[in-house]
Amino acid sequence: MAIRLIATELTEQERDLQAQVRAFCEEHLPRGSFEPGLGMSSGQSRDLSRELGKRGWLGMALPQEYGGSDRSTVDRLVVVEELLRRGAPLEHHWTADRQSGVMINRSGTQEQKQRFLPSIAAGELCFCIGMSEPDSGSDLASVKSRAIPVDGGWLLNGTKIWTSNAHFADWMICLCRTHDADNPHQGLSQLLIDMRSPGITINPIPLLDGTADFAEVVFEDVFVPEDLLLGEPGNGWTQVTSELSFERAGPERWITPVIIVENFLRENADSLSPAAVDFLGHTIARWWGLRQISLAAARMIDEGLAPALQAAIGKDMGTEFEQEVITALQQLIDIEPSLVSRSPFSRLLARAVLVAPSWPIRGGTNEVLKGIIAKGLR
Amino acid sequence: MSEQDLLFETADRLFAAVCTFDEVQRAQNSGWSDLSWEASNELGLTRIGVGEDAGGVGGSIADAVALLMAAGYHSVPLPLAESTLLAGWLAKAPGVILPEGPLTVIPNKANDSLRLDGAKLFGTAQRVPWGRKASLVLGLIDGHIIGVTPSQATVSEDVNVAGEARDDLSFDGVTPVLCERAVPEQTKQSLQLVGALSRSALMAGALLRVADITAQYTQERKQFGKAIGSFQAVQLHVVRCAEQAAYVDLGVQVAAREADRGVAAFEIMAAKTLANDAARIASRAAHQAHGAMGMTQEYVLHQYTRRLWAWRSEYGDASWVHHLGEAVVALGADHHFHVIADGSASGISL
Repeated sequence: MAIRLIATELTEQERDLQAQVRAFCEEHLPRGSFEPGLGMSSGQSRDLSRELGKRGWLGMALPQEYGGSDRSTVDRLVVVEELLRRGAPLEHHWTADRQSGVMINRSGTQEQKQRFLPSIAAGELCFCIGMSEPDSGSDLASVKSRAIPVDGGWLLNGTKIWTSNAHFADWMICLCRTHDADNPHQGLSQLLIDMRSPGITINPIPLLDGTADFAEVVFEDVFVPEDLLLGEPGNGWTQVTSELSFERAGPERWITPVIIVENFLRENADSLSPAAVDFLGHTIARWWGLRQISLAAARMIDEGLAPALQAAIGKDMGTEFEQEVITALQQLIDIEPSLVSRSPFSRLLARAVLVAPSWPIRGGTNEVLKGIIAKGLR
Repeated sequence: MSEQDLLFETADRLFAAVCTFDEVQRAQNSGWSDLSWEASNELGLTRIGVGEDAGGVGGSIADAVALLMAAGYHSVPLPLAESTLLAGWLAKAPGVILPEGPLTVIPNKANDSLRLDGAKLFGTAQRVPWGRKASLVLGLIDGHIIGVTPSQATVSEDVNVAGEARDDLSFDGVTPVLCERAVPEQTKQSLQLVGALSRSALMAGALLRVADITAQYTQERKQFGKAIGSFQAVQLHVVRCAEQAAYVDLGVQVAAREADRGVAAFEIMAAKTLANDAARIASRAAHQAHGAMGMTQEYVLHQYTRRLWAWRSEYGDASWVHHLGEAVVALGADHHFHVIADGSASGISL
C-alpha cells in the first residue's frame, strides 16, 4: 500500500515558540556576526548550546523531572529549523539533542537518566555516535567491536570510524557485540562510553573541505562500568534501528542549501536571469513540500506513531534535492567558488560543492533507505 | 477519521465498483460513461463543494479535493472537477443557480477570444472538458459568471492525451442562459488557481494509484527466477513512485486546507508545481518498471500515466514556477525561508 502522510500545521503555541526563536536568532546570531556553516556540520559553540539550554530549547521532548521541557518533536523541529537555516554552530549539542537524550530517556535506567539528561538539556554534554566501523558501513549488524564481561563491567576492544565530533565529544553511545549469537542481529548492545576513558585513541580524518569533522576511534581494553550499558543486553539492534529513525525525519535533510540560495539571492538580486528566477520558484515549492513531510512525520511521532517509512522518504527525497540545488546553482552562475572568497555565497557554495556528496550518505545511505522503503511497500 | 477521509473512502468504494478498467476503456472510445455519472450522482458526489443555494450539496473545498483524489485514483472519466470544485467556486457569485447534470467550466486558455458584447457571447473557448456533454458550460468572462449550453455553440470535438473530451466551443452572439456579475475575488487568476488545485488533487490520486500498481506488478512479475521487485535497480523505480505520490498527496492536503481559509495562492501554485514534477518522475519510473507491458492499452497503467501527462498541461505547467520565482525575488532574501516555513502567511505576494 502507498505511503501517506496527514497534513498538519503549527499550533498557536508552536507559532509563539517560532517567534521566540526568530527573535533569539536576531539578537544572538545576526547575519555577519559569525561564519555560517552548512547544516549539521556547522562548527560548535558551547556558549550557543548553553544559551539554547537555558531557554529550554534542548532536550525538548525529555521529561521535566530530568531537566527537559516535556515538549514535543514538533517543538524541536520549530527550534532547529530556525537555527539550521542560519547556519548556526550547533555541533556541540546536535547529536545529544537529536538522539542520544531520546535514547537514554527511552532505554536508560533511572540512574542513567539522572546522570545524563539534565546536562544534555542544559547544552553541556557533547555526544557522538559509535555505529560505523572500517568493515561495517551500511551492513551495520556486522560490527566487530566487542565488549567482554569483566569484574564490575565490560572490556571494550575495536574501532569505530566516520564518527563526527569524536574529538570534542564527552560521551559516545557505542554499538558493540556483547554476546555470541547465531544471527548477526542478536548479541549486540549499546554502551555509554566516557570519551576520556583510558585506552581510547582518537584520530581525526580531514574531510574534503579541510575540516576535521570526522574521526576514527580506537578502543584498546577500555573499561566500561556495568551501569553504563544502555537498555537490554543483546537488544542493541532494535535500539539502534529506532535511533536511526530519529535521525532521518528532521529538517537537516533538506535545509542545508537554504542559506546558500538565500545568499545567492541577496548578492545577485539585480542580475537574475529568467532561469535563475525559475530556479527560485521551483525550489521554493519543493522546499515547502519537503518541510511539510518533516512536519507531518514529527507530528506522527508526537502522536505515538512510528513513521519509519515516512521519515525514510523524507530523508531520501530531501538529500537528493539538496544535491540538485547545488548542481543547479553552479549552472546558473559562472563563478569559481572559493573557500576564502569575500562573498558569503561563494564561500558557502565552495564548501557545499565539496561536502554535498556526504548528505545522502550519513544517517544510512539512500540506497539502503530505498531498500527499506521498498520492503515497506510490499 | 476526518470528514475528508470518510468522503474519500465512500467515493473510493463506489468508483472501484463502477469505474473498472473496462468501463474507463469504453468511456475513452465513446467519450462518456453514463454508468459512472449516474452512480456518482445518486450518492450526491457530483455536487460536493457546491453551495446548497446554488443547487449543490454543500461541503468545503477540502471535501471536493478529497473526492477528486478518489476520482484520480480510479481515473473516473467525468468532469467531476468542473461539476464540484470549479462550479462551486463560480457559484459564489449571487444569483448563480446550477442545473442538474454534468457541468463544465471554460478553462480560459491564454489565447481564447471569448468576449461579452451587449450581454451576447462571441468567440471561441478552447479545450473545454466534455463541452459536448455538459448540461451547462460555465465561464468567467469579462467580470461575469456566464452559463451557456452546448447547443448554443459550434462544437469542435477533440481529446487530450488521455483520450478525455476536450472540445472547442465557438459562440456567435448567443445570449447566455446564465449571466451574473462576478464577485471581486473571482478573478481570472483565481480561476486558474482553483483549476490548478482541482488538477493537483486528481493528480495526487493518480500518483497514489501509479505507486500501488507499480509496487504490485513488481512483486508479481518474475524474471531470472524471482520477483523483479527484489532487484535493487527496480526497487528504485518503485520507491520513486511512492515518494512522489506521498509528496503530492500531502502538498494537496495542505493547499486545500489553506484554500478553505481564503488565501492559498502560494500553496496551490506549489502543490501544482510538485504534481507537475511528479507526473514526469513517477510516470517514467512506473513505465520503466513495467517494461513493454506498461506501454499497451491492454494494461491498466496507461489510464493513469496518460492522465498525469494531460492534467500536467492544464491550469499551469511552467508558468507557476516563474510566477513563484518572481514573488520570491520581490519578497527578498531575508524572507526566503519564511516562505518555506509559513507559505502564504509569509506575506509572499502572488
